[in-house]
Amino acid sequence: MPSPATLRQRAPRLAGAAVERARLTVVPRAETRAARLPFVSLVTVLLLGGVVGLLLFNTSMQQSAFTATSLEQRAAVLSARQESLGMKLEQLRDPQEVARRAQQLGMRVPAAPLFLDLSDGSVAGDPAGAQVLAPVLLEAKAPPLPAELAPATRVVQPPEGTLSGDRGNGNGNGEGRADDRADDRGDREGRGDGRGDAARSDRGGRNGEASSDRDRGGDRERRDDRGRSGRDR
Amino acid sequence: MRTSRYPRRGAPHLRLRIGFVLIAMVLSVFGARLVQLQGIDPGSYAAMAAAESMQDVVLPATRGDILDRNGEPLAESVDGLMVIADPALVNTDEAGNEVDRAPELAKLLATKLDVDYVTTLERLRRTDTRFQYLARAVPAADARAVVERARELGFDGLTTQRDPIRVYPAGDVAANVIGFLGTPLADGTPQPLAGFERTFDAELSGTDGSARYSVAAGQKIPLGEQTVVEAVDGRDLTTTLDRELQWYVQRVLRQTVYGANADSGVAVVMDSRTGEVLSLADFPTYDANDPLEADEADLGSRAMSDVYEPGSVQKVLTLGALVDAGRVTPRTRLTVPPSLQRQDRAIGDWFDHGTINLTLAGVLAKSSNIGTVLAADKFEGDELRDYLTAFGLGEPTGVGVRGESPGIVPAGSLWTSQTQDRVAFGQSVSVNALQMAAAINTVANGGVRVDPSLVRGRATADSGEEVGTETVTSRRVLSEDAARKTMLMMERVVDPEAGVAPGAQVPGYRVAGKTGTAQRANAECGCYDGTFTVSFAGFAPADDPRFTVYVVVQNPRNGGGGGSVAGPAFSKIMGYALRRYAVPPTSTKPSSLPVEW
Repeated sequence: MPSPATLRQRAPRLAGAAVERARLTVVPRAETRAARLPFVSLVTVLLLGGVVGLLLFNTSMQQSAFTATSLEQRAAVLSARQESLGMKLEQLRDPQEVARRAQQLGMRVPAAPLFLDLSDGSVAGDPAGAQVLAPVLLEAKAPPLPAELAPATRVVQPPEGTLSGDRGNGNGNGEGRADDRADDRGDREGRGDGRGDAARSDRGGRNGEASSDRDRGGDRERRDDRGRSGRDR
Repeated sequence: MRTSRYPRRGAPHLRLRIGFVLIAMVLSVFGARLVQLQGIDPGSYAAMAAAESMQDVVLPATRGDILDRNGEPLAESVDGLMVIADPALVNTDEAGNEVDRAPELAKLLATKLDVDYVTTLERLRRTDTRFQYLARAVPAADARAVVERARELGFDGLTTQRDPIRVYPAGDVAANVIGFLGTPLADGTPQPLAGFERTFDAELSGTDGSARYSVAAGQKIPLGEQTVVEAVDGRDLTTTLDRELQWYVQRVLRQTVYGANADSGVAVVMDSRTGEVLSLADFPTYDANDPLEADEADLGSRAMSDVYEPGSVQKVLTLGALVDAGRVTPRTRLTVPPSLQRQDRAIGDWFDHGTINLTLAGVLAKSSNIGTVLAADKFEGDELRDYLTAFGLGEPTGVGVRGESPGIVPAGSLWTSQTQDRVAFGQSVSVNALQMAAAINTVANGGVRVDPSLVRGRATADSGEEVGTETVTSRRVLSEDAARKTMLMMERVVDPEAGVAPGAQVPGYRVAGKTGTAQRANAECGCYDGTFTVSFAGFAPADDPRFTVYVVVQNPRNGGGGGSVAGPAFSKIMGYALRRYAVPPTSTKPSSLPVEW
């Protein structure tokens, strides 16, 4: 490798002018004046755009959140509605309900099925035996009345020689009159029971009658009435 | 700074010191506050801060449905709400004056919801409380509509809260097996009280989830804190029951019990091949939507919990075992005396007869106790007991029904020859109805006993036991030949001339069956009290069985026996099942085994 000293010695010989030209010199700085306005406006636009965009974005998010909430609520309402309609449908599809309607139309359950073979028209099974059965008993019997609501009938024989309608008009002695009154009460009680039964068997709830019974102060009727409202609850 | 340009400012050191002291004072106040907030009970402050804007919501898990084999719902959950009133708010008008608006509101609620006017009125007029339930378990749509309407009319103070509803669309159908839920707790947790609802509660109930998010003005804040743990819904439980068939069986059973003026009844329908229980009916039963209306004794499953002596139906097992052991054939000839003197007592038949000559088939067809005892003499040792155990008597069926009673087969030490005599015709042994149905089904299924099952797939009961069709095991009890011979003998039972139960026939089909009329043991006196258990067990078509049906009626008061009370019910149920599953008649010749010789 030739040393730099040798290069310098050789250079003038090659091309002195070229070397002179190739030498780096300090040049004065060029005073370039870039336009400031576009940059400033670009930054401003970017900033403003960012802020406004963010604001819009936020607003739209907020808006869509509201929409989502209201749609969710609507979905909940609709699914609740669907459920309650489904419930009604299930009530109609209840085997009991289907059977009730079928029996109303006169349909009956057969004792056994018959099979018709479509290829040769033959019938398998016992056509004579496969009769329809009696209608299916759909409803349970009403439960028996509790003992206190169905008291045994009290049969009271009026004492001989006295009429039950005779309310002691002064023709009997004191003791007889007492008996008489007791009998009369028994009789009235019996009638009250009869009325109570009628009201019970009528499930329509004849409130007017019940209340008029109550007005009459029949102890038993009042108990019956209470029993009924308990059931309603 | 040292120049006189700011002559009024004092010594800088002093100022600095004062400044530092002030800063230190402020900082120490901050420090003390920090210790107060973070050192002493930081949790409550954090909670208070969270409560300001965070909302915690429970995401309720939906309880699984209980379905029948075709996916029809036996029990399903519906979103429900309770309507709650604050009486004080109701009876205050907009200006804040006290007014009596209770009647108006009560009227509205009584017309729109299924509530009582007077009760509602009383609740709305209470002044000692600000919380009154007005209606519970109202379908969500209805409840919302009512509250909305009340608000429109200017009523204040009505709110709703979650109150899930469990609906049993078919009412009393399979209620004894399915069970019911009680009134949910305040937080909406259901209270399973009986049946499958309780046994499989862990599978049905699922796990509630939760959501937590920040809100502002009633709206979720987007990008706000939000965590959601999704609820895990309960698993559906599919049973092997057939809702339509179960309904029909229950109605037939009810009619039968009414007709015989009996105490109670049980009916079982099994798929002969798989052991799946298509119907397990009890009467008296209850409406699962309204269990409080029913007698508490009717809430369980009598088919599983009541044990009784099976009576003559047991003869099928005894004679089947004898044939399997090779001791007898259906044509074995027996001379049956009018009465048979045994060690401790005389054994008689249900009908008066002189000395008659019956074949083994005749013994079954005529249901002769004496003939059965004579045939059972051919057993050696504990053979009969082993057979009965193999038939599944004395051990629980394990289908997952609560309160199952396994019945009693006398222990080996108590197995005397007298016991064996009585067991042979169905006394001194007690069973539950499903056990007996499964035992008879062994004969129908070619001698292989299949465990009965009520749950499809598998499910874990609350006892930890796994039940279901996937856990079913089977074992051979009788040889195929013995089972077939037993079937042929049973077919003679429903023959109008040879047998005792022509009423059990299904027109067009071959039916094999056996009647049972057993005296009922009374726990109080420890004796037979003169009442009876009548039953009929059988299967059809006899030569290719598809269904095994067992009907039991407790204490009929019309003087009927197994053939006349349970037989017709069997026929109806079997006819319905064969039709529903489109099982054609086999059109082979019925059994013509001789019954006499």
